[in-house]
Amino acid sequence: MPDTPILQVENLSKFFPVQRGLFRRTVGHVKAVNDVTFTVNKGECVGLVGESGCGKTTVARCLLRLVEPDQGRILLHSEQQTFDIASASRKEMLDVRRQMQIIFQDPFSSLDPRWRVTDVIAEPLIAQKIGRAEASRRVLEILPTVGLGAHFADRFPHELSGGERQRVSIARALVVSPPLVVADEPVSALDVSVRSQIINLLLDLQSQMNLTYVFIAHDLSIVKHISHRIAVMYLGRLVELGTTQQVFEECKHPYTKALLASVLIPDPTHREQSYVLEGEVPSPLNPPSGCHFSTRCPFAQEQCSAEEPDLRDMGNGHLVRCHFAEDLDLSEGVFALPLATSSASA
Amino acid sequence: MPDSQPILEVLDLHVHFKMLAGVVRAVDGVNFTVERGRCLGIVGESGCGKSVTARSILRLLHSSQTSGQILYHPNGDDEPIDLVNLDPRGDAIRAIRGKDIAMIFQEPMTSLTPVYTIGEQIMESIRQHQNLSEEEAQELAISMLNKVGIPDAERRFADYPHQMSGGMRQRVMIAIALCCEPRVLIADEPTTALDVTIQAQILRLIRSLQQDLDMSVIMITHDLSVIAQLADFVVVMYLGQMAEKAPVVELFQNPKHPYTQALLRSIVRPDTPPREQLHTISGSVPDPRNAPSGCRFRNRCPSVHDRCLEDPPVVEFGPQHTATCWLYVDD
Repeated sequence: MPDTPILQVENLSKFFPVQRGLFRRTVGHVKAVNDVTFTVNKGECVGLVGESGCGKTTVARCLLRLVEPDQGRILLHSEQQTFDIASASRKEMLDVRRQMQIIFQDPFSSLDPRWRVTDVIAEPLIAQKIGRAEASRRVLEILPTVGLGAHFADRFPHELSGGERQRVSIARALVVSPPLVVADEPVSALDVSVRSQIINLLLDLQSQMNLTYVFIAHDLSIVKHISHRIAVMYLGRLVELGTTQQVFEECKHPYTKALLASVLIPDPTHREQSYVLEGEVPSPLNPPSGCHFSTRCPFAQEQCSAEEPDLRDMGNGHLVRCHFAEDLDLSEGVFALPLATSSASA
Repeated sequence: MPDSQPILEVLDLHVHFKMLAGVVRAVDGVNFTVERGRCLGIVGESGCGKSVTARSILRLLHSSQTSGQILYHPNGDDEPIDLVNLDPRGDAIRAIRGKDIAMIFQEPMTSLTPVYTIGEQIMESIRQHQNLSEEEAQELAISMLNKVGIPDAERRFADYPHQMSGGMRQRVMIAIALCCEPRVLIADEPTTALDVTIQAQILRLIRSLQQDLDMSVIMITHDLSVIAQLADFVVVMYLGQMAEKAPVVELFQNPKHPYTQALLRSIVRPDTPPREQLHTISGSVPDPRNAPSGCRFRNRCPSVHDRCLEDPPVVEFGPQHTATCWLYVDD
């Protein structure tokens, strides 16, 4: 497909102030999202991965302007015009929301228990000043597309299973026919047997309605399955960005490698874990100097804690934030070695 | 395995809850054996009864009706103790609970009390079960914190749970469970709330402690990858019943029950072709209050048959491999 950008995120930052004491003095900032730049092309699915606290959900919320970004631009290209979401007015945001919708993680808390399914799905239409009658007609139209019968319209969320609720959330997002959908952990709260149904549904809808996805998840197998391109975040920074092939097969950042290595393989005859990352994600309030990953990186050199590496293009749009991206040998055997030596010396 | 000895036998366990809407048969006829030094995995989706099974072993469910036998063999030759017959509030079970059989709960965020330091919470368990002085207990607690990989344990000893991350709290839970060197560790979804890198650390920790202490582990999870990595023997549960049980390699290579087969097909593997349709199980897990009669999986089963309206038989497929299904019975 020709790469027409639909969403361009440029130098997006969001710092949350940390306030302490009687007068709520600001004592520091959590750099939840720090200078993140990426582009989403029409019709593709971009996966956003990272551990909790890496800022992936904050990116999603900034995209929808559910939190106010501090810096940067978020350009959304629609057929008629281009919006800068970061500085759009309330009136413009109404148009933006016709172009972009979000599916939330937890279908148990994202649906109002007192609203019927039809009211939940119709709400975006009502917000777009579409009449009640037309809205209910559109609700009945969208229900079968997400695999729910018309009789679901009058039900309350407590009458639905987790999978059905998530289908309602998807219908709610798609009812205004947005070209772009942000899905924030859409399957992680679901049972295993239902999870694959929802992934299939998301894939079907993408090809039927020509949707573009920003797909946020911590389950790497699912992200790999659904995404064309993947962005890896660590402590508010983008550390690697590339096609699924580049990130999974030819990854150049030690953090990406460690993430991939900690994915459990569903095969009892393959039990050796090549590498287990030591330690935990440092506090985002006080991230390590230089490269944020340097405190946990098995290859860290002096330069790493002194200087923060830039995001560099390693060819064919494969971006990596590491001083030594060219030199590191991240193949299985070599990568397993630092573990053996470090645990022996500890 | 000729030298395998059972440490815990669960025989025909039923746990029912009386509710206004009727009786919920949360666990309905479950049988399994935990061997010394081995890991038994119990896998299933929400509502399958895996957590209820675990809690009934420790007699933590007061409002339930429990029948069947849970035989605990403290020593090889002695008479086993039937935990079902013990008073859930009595001294006999309290001597076992936390000492011989310990449990790690699912949410590290809610299962520690916020008003005591983690040191006090570990020492509570030590002082309850071991005749140690305050200083000795503190020493043991700190050495446990070191063992589970908490850096700077002496200082963290005085921390409150809110000062620790999720992974650290889960390690504290493990330290509390292990401080009396239990014979059996029940781990109820110990890594579900954690990130992948921390999950890998915790699973490696459980595995190495299992070997060091020659401990038996009951690993309860919905995640077949965790089972594949840790369990020696697996019980698959669906809506309170046992669908299949088998040694782990056998289960993954030769699953017999349609539910096990469907579960294994529906997981995304490293070699699943990208963006292709995944195998699914139709429908969703029914409400346990209106579980179908006969085979409880029949509404979702691709091989459903008239016979499935009646309770399915247990069919044997070789040593220790059984599935509860009509599919393998000739008319």
